[in-house]
Amino acid sequence: MVIEIIEKILLLSGMVALGFIIGMFFNGFARKVTARIHNRVGPPIYQGYLDVFKLFAKKTNISHGWIFDLAALFSVAGIALAFLFLPVAGISLLSTEGDLFLILYLLAIPALGFALGAGASGNPNAAVGIMRALMLMLAYELPLVMVIVAMMVHYNTTSLATLVQMQSNFKWALFVPQFFIGAIIVDMALQGMLMEKPFDIAIAPHEIASGPMVEFGGKHLGALMLYKMMAIVVETTLFVDLFLGGGVVLSVEQYGWIAYLVNFLVWFALITFVFFLALLINAVFPRFRIEQALKFYWKYDALAALLLLIWVYAGVSI
Amino acid sequence: MRNEDWKKISRLVSKRSLWMVHFCTGCGAMEMPPVMTSRYDMERFGMHAMATPRQADILLITGYLAVKTLKRVVQVYEQMQDPKYVIGFGSCTINGGMYWDSYNTIKDLSKYIPVDLYIAGCMPRPEAIMDAFLKLMDMIDKGEAIGWKKYRKYYDQYKRNQRMAFAYRLDEVKEIKEDDAK
Amino acid sequence: MLMETFYAFIIGSLVVLALNRFPRIAAVVAIAVSLLPLFALIYWAPLVGLTLPSYLSLLRFETEISYALGPGTILLQITPLGWFFLFLLATTFPLVLLFASSFVRDNAGGFYASMLLTMLGSFGVLLARDMLTFFIFWEIMSWSILALVLRGHDRRAIVSYLAFGSLSAMLLLFGFMILYYKTGTFLFGEMALEATPLTLAGISMIVAGFAVKGALMPLHVWAPHVYSRSEEPFVAFLSGGLSKLGYFGMILFMYGVATVPFFATWGTFRGVPYFGYALAVIGAFTAFAGTVLAIMQDDLRKLLAYSSIGQLGYVAIGIGIGTPLALTGALFQALNHTFFKAVLFLAAGAVYYRTGRWKISELGGLGYKMPFTFLAALFAIFALASIPITSGFAAKWLLYEAAIEQGFLFVTPIMLIAGVGAFLYAYKILYGVFLGEPRHDVREAPLSQLVAMWILVLPLVVFLVFPGWVLDITSPILQEYGMQPVAHTPYVITTNLAAYNTIAVILALIGTLFLALILYKWKPQKVVPHEDNYLAGEPPENYEYISMHAASNYYEPFEDVFGGIFRKGAERGWEIVLAGAEFLSNGARRIYTGLTEDYSIYILLFFLVLVGWWLLW
Repeated sequence: MVIEIIEKILLLSGMVALGFIIGMFFNGFARKVTARIHNRVGPPIYQGYLDVFKLFAKKTNISHGWIFDLAALFSVAGIALAFLFLPVAGISLLSTEGDLFLILYLLAIPALGFALGAGASGNPNAAVGIMRALMLMLAYELPLVMVIVAMMVHYNTTSLATLVQMQSNFKWALFVPQFFIGAIIVDMALQGMLMEKPFDIAIAPHEIASGPMVEFGGKHLGALMLYKMMAIVVETTLFVDLFLGGGVVLSVEQYGWIAYLVNFLVWFALITFVFFLALLINAVFPRFRIEQALKFYWKYDALAALLLLIWVYAGVSI
Repeated sequence: MRNEDWKKISRLVSKRSLWMVHFCTGCGAMEMPPVMTSRYDMERFGMHAMATPRQADILLITGYLAVKTLKRVVQVYEQMQDPKYVIGFGSCTINGGMYWDSYNTIKDLSKYIPVDLYIAGCMPRPEAIMDAFLKLMDMIDKGEAIGWKKYRKYYDQYKRNQRMAFAYRLDEVKEIKEDDAK
Repeated sequence: MLMETFYAFIIGSLVVLALNRFPRIAAVVAIAVSLLPLFALIYWAPLVGLTLPSYLSLLRFETEISYALGPGTILLQITPLGWFFLFLLATTFPLVLLFASSFVRDNAGGFYASMLLTMLGSFGVLLARDMLTFFIFWEIMSWSILALVLRGHDRRAIVSYLAFGSLSAMLLLFGFMILYYKTGTFLFGEMALEATPLTLAGISMIVAGFAVKGALMPLHVWAPHVYSRSEEPFVAFLSGGLSKLGYFGMILFMYGVATVPFFATWGTFRGVPYFGYALAVIGAFTAFAGTVLAIMQDDLRKLLAYSSIGQLGYVAIGIGIGTPLALTGALFQALNHTFFKAVLFLAAGAVYYRTGRWKISELGGLGYKMPFTFLAALFAIFALASIPITSGFAAKWLLYEAAIEQGFLFVTPIMLIAGVGAFLYAYKILYGVFLGEPRHDVREAPLSQLVAMWILVLPLVVFLVFPGWVLDITSPILQEYGMQPVAHTPYVITTNLAAYNTIAVILALIGTLFLALILYKWKPQKVVPHEDNYLAGEPPENYEYISMHAASNYYEPFEDVFGGIFRKGAERGWEIVLAGAEFLSNGARRIYTGLTEDYSIYILLFFLVLVGWWLLW
């Protein structure tokens, strides 16, 4: 019993560590890809690790009081929590203990914690940035939840682990005609979720001095960077779990540990690919204003999602 | 692992991840875009322009400083978090440059905040800026870029000089002189 | 002891009225009387399967009573449903009075007297065994609320409350009469409803009457006015406790008196009767529109009022869907809403008590000045936004599961997006009032107010860990209506679609928080004053003229997009109804010409019609 518990704890902390390591890799990867598109050399691909290390090695760390500190705590803890509740490469550590609704709301813990700390700094830029971030959230969540609800009703489950299981043997949701469109809609929502251009409205460095992060430096900024990097992993994994079968290609019963390895590699390749798509858009677009983003999501994306809902409702499949 | 080793590793990593806030006064800001974009691309050294001093490691001052501007520079410098480095850019920060005889610009920046590195020239070319960055990295690696320690150590002296520059009435100058005598 | 409780309330209200000059003694008397329903609650706990130590129930209360009062008889009986709602009201009520003891200054005796009468009415409503008793106590409650609304001295609030209150009473009365006409009995237990259009009309009228009290759109118009112009302790009880009575009545009449098969005679949509589906759609619309309107408010009380309307919309959705899962979710949401909204209104009251401001844009930075008020409000806000670190999530989760189980493709996204909208106004409260630039040099709220708030926070934390306990006390209600209770253990809720394990969430959160804490405590830090903020140079020196608090017009882009559609929409609609009514009444007035020959023609016509009818039949 005790050994089991220790095993579980080690497995979970290993998963969190893995998430952070992949997240930091993604930071360097993103900067490299963007640089290559801009015809630059770009930083080394391990730049993310250096940045985080440097931030945690800073000599002074200023804070604006205990509410300000909650940002660092809740953002890192919350995003790690959300990661644990996702099935990763078919391995569901805690994902059977909750479902998709829980994940959607767990994703709000780091966001609200971060907003709390940013607001506590008392900087007006931070407040404006948070306002934009929350409104963007409202904007992209509508098409996202519409598609997710359509999937839940279609597959008659709300559990993400079950959804991944149903998509095994390459019965990916992407290959169902309705959800191919759904995937496109969610991919657009993902662009806002990842806060890549044209939706990097909240952290616009040139307008509002990086918005919510304006007062964060040293270890606080390091914690926030960890959150942002891990958020990329969590959000792309959510997409992969929803539409690409969570990266499960080999069944564990048949192939044993090789299946774990292969599934894991496939999952990693898929989330990298999804993130790569977002980066391609990010590298060439300017920035929306916030009401333009709201109108984009609620007019075009949500309208497409509404048609999808009607399609699923009618049960028509071509 | 000994403390010294830890510091060495820390410096080794930190020099490859320098974030910069540029205080764009004067005409020097014009030379920054080529440094950042595809011609010279400073990001290959892990350098990045940041939005606020809280996040930055380098303060780059790109030209002459009026007394009023100096006030803001000091504010920004003090908001940065240790370790922090200052690069004076162009001859204006060294000796006032073409404003050498102006009544309201400061002549020597290092009197007011510790400058780790100067880039001479009016204007310095992007190559010179890149060279300065590499030199600064070298200095950090060797532990020579200790401006932030100097600012802590000689804080009173720097403050006195700043007050002297900000003083615009005779009695304020007199007060400072009296304080000096103490 | 049951009738004695009612007498204690009446005598207590007279005593506190007499003690008008001594507000502190009046408060003590009122709180002492208000504890009686709590004792009754504890005594009746075995009804819902709770076993409490016997010393907790100091007094004995009858579970069923018929009491002759003049020509009529008052019939009272405690049911699991009544117990559940009594739990919400009886726990909130003494704490609200405790808060009021330091908050209400002028004419305190009148305040406590009206509050006690309100509770008396609600107590009777929850125990009523027949429609007459129900209606009598309902009116006692409604009129005592009016007395409390009158204390606000706001014409709009009074008029709108009166208008909608009488509308509600009329609808209820008509509905009761129709039911009595068709069944011949007033007793809930003996009513066997036939599925005729008339009974459906009666039930619809009753549900509409309750919807007024529950502030469902478009019958919500009174709520923002009343909530924003009355004293906070009363509003906390009104929003937290009394508005639930509307939903109590809906459940009682929709599932106790009428049943699911009754509604199903008119057809079902995905297993849900059309009637329930319509209620669910109205509820979803209310949840969404209430949220959007809350985002646009600057007055703290109005914001909370619209948020209250929006959150209660979820309860209506649950009642409308009417599956065991949905009803459990609705009851759970009602419970959560009671506690978090009471805390929020009380926190708003505490903030007003110290600063004298209601406008969010004029407040700011109180988090460091009033840390305990802030923390209580923070917990309540987390529950409001249904973040899974309070019990708020379990209720919404049950409702979402219920909607997905029935395959509601269009209602569920609206519910979910309203949930996201809740983050927006939740953050507006947090930032505008408690974070940002400190602008008021104030002390922490008085102890009595803090105690009241923190005791109300307690259930939110307890039911986070053990949501199963709530499901334990809702299961008897479902069994009474012949439904299968939701499968659960103290900390795992299981549905057909998925499971929710709170212990896993909490332990994982503690683990990750521990991890984050290590990361964060690794390095020492320095706390800087608020003025040391990056503002591209230096902060402005003249604080009197320049504000760094960005809370006024916080969601301006949002208002640009939605403001035109939603603002004042409902009120404008009712104004059109009003204009129509005025036009019709003016037309009717023309009949009265004042000429004798006209009247004689009317009489002649009347007799002709009578004779004609007699000849034809």
